[in-house]
Amino acid sequence: MDAVNRDNVADIDRAPFELFLIQEAHLLDERRFREWMGLFADDGIYWVPAVPNQESPFDQASLFYDDRELMKTRIDRLEHPRIHVQTPPSRTAHLVGNVIVEQTDEGEFLVRSTFIMVEYRDDRQRTFAGRQSHRLRREGASFRIVQKRVDLINCDSAFEAMAVPI
Amino acid sequence: MRNGHADEIAKLIEPGRVHRRVYADPDIFELEMERIFGRAWLYVGHTSQVPNPGDYITTELGRQPVIMCRHRDNGVHVLLNRCSHRGPKVVNERKGHATRLTCCYHGWTYDTDGQLVTVPVPEGCGEGFDKAAFGLARAPRVEEYRGFVFASLATSGPSFEEHIGPMKGNFDDLVDRAPDGALALDAGMHRYVYNGNWKLQLENVLDSYHVPFGHASTVNKDGVQFARREGDQKGATVVEADKKQTANAWKDRKSFIVGNGHGWTSNTALDDGKRSSPAFDEYKRALAEKVGAARAQEILTPRLHNSLIYPNVSIMGLNIHVRVIKPLAVDRTEVTIYPIRLVGAPAAMNFGNIRLLNVTHSAASFVQTDDLESFVRAQTGLQSRQTDWVDISRGLGAEEPDRELNVTRGLATHEMVVRAQYRAWMGYMREAA
Repeated sequence: MDAVNRDNVADIDRAPFELFLIQEAHLLDERRFREWMGLFADDGIYWVPAVPNQESPFDQASLFYDDRELMKTRIDRLEHPRIHVQTPPSRTAHLVGNVIVEQTDEGEFLVRSTFIMVEYRDDRQRTFAGRQSHRLRREGASFRIVQKRVDLINCDSAFEAMAVPI
Repeated sequence: MRNGHADEIAKLIEPGRVHRRVYADPDIFELEMERIFGRAWLYVGHTSQVPNPGDYITTELGRQPVIMCRHRDNGVHVLLNRCSHRGPKVVNERKGHATRLTCCYHGWTYDTDGQLVTVPVPEGCGEGFDKAAFGLARAPRVEEYRGFVFASLATSGPSFEEHIGPMKGNFDDLVDRAPDGALALDAGMHRYVYNGNWKLQLENVLDSYHVPFGHASTVNKDGVQFARREGDQKGATVVEADKKQTANAWKDRKSFIVGNGHGWTSNTALDDGKRSSPAFDEYKRALAEKVGAARAQEILTPRLHNSLIYPNVSIMGLNIHVRVIKPLAVDRTEVTIYPIRLVGAPAAMNFGNIRLLNVTHSAASFVQTDDLESFVRAQTGLQSRQTDWVDISRGLGAEEPDRELNVTRGLATHEMVVRAQYRAWMGYMREAA
């Protein structure tokens, strides 16, 4: 990840961005996946690389690389009554912190943060952690996600099945 | 059971059923590591993973750590990843490049063909210390077919040719799809683990019976699965929408066996003649340019869906990838999935394949995750001792010769392929190594 550009950071009020990340985390933790998808721009992308510092989703495998169409297929499945890997469903708790905001363009921002997600399902609990970056586009009083990138610290490890977005 | 007497092993498999201990007994697992993984031809890796001298990957054959590396003479070596001195794993990265391989503990240093090159403070080694005798141990037999490297950890046994037999055609089917006639496994990997026996994944790769039920969550209300291939306008019909039952197209699918536990399933009737996208169309042009229009048409006519080369690798023809199955313990298995890049195909086509493999077979995919749930639940259910037997009898006696292909054929929703795997299993297991 690039070093933070301090010139662009100084003047930005972090509060509305932090609020956005908190609200996003709530939607995921409350399994309101369709509303979560609604946070993404029509050309929005959700990306979880499979190796550290992955440069491109185009020539390498990724854990997730969803455009809106794939996101919708994923959420249709999460709402399907016969999704075995969510019987019983996961419960998650996200914690987001260490937020840094940088303006990258007119009306576009890069918001970097650190997260922990604890997932409990079927008598087992596990932890996901890493850094994430949200490329946000201002829209009215709030934002839409142009790209959410999640860099898990263990992204290249062997995982047990993952069903819910991080 | 520790001694693995042949008659006791023989009681574990019957024509249409398998004893639960085959999945759940740690002693059986130990015997499998010795008698199957200790001597069968195992898939190691692909030569495209080590394109240049000094390139290496590390993996495991059964539970044994190995290095596959390319030496200066361009030869690909399969070396045991264990220092000849006191035993540490010598190479600790999953892939990389090195001119020499040095053990972290006392600095013993090996060449990329396994020869011991230097030993620090050699005067301590004693009179007559012979470096030639202290190279890295190597897989005694190594063979390659169209880039796919196999090794056997036994000095004798059936040759690679005898083992692989007609399955070469299944590799050809995949490799020939590349306009330049070569594959590259250089697009990373998906890795997943599950708390279940390794054979649960093995049985699953050719199991067409589970699809409408196991993957119900990927099927929409019209009974159609999401489109899984670059250029497909829609996915396969899996369930008849009004009848809530398996689609006829699915029920008519065939599976094939050729001995030694290998087999494959025929293609889903997915090619509606409408498959088209800018990337796919450009790929078709590139292929036809290299091999001619008639041959290109032949290559693009889907015949194979999934193939299993017993006991540790599957090549998948729909969402193209190589899948390696690694047993870790009787109830723990790791699976590694390598996306395939078709050399000479447009980058957009290869991206399409990589992108759709993310959603079908990553640890976070729509398809594989429901299979993993089934494997975990099978391992849990098989703890029950009130019933000893696992039923694999569907289609028993309904197998028939396919004279055109000179193989044995059955319906893909039957369990002929599983029974074939257990015949191979028994062949390895009943004889002491």
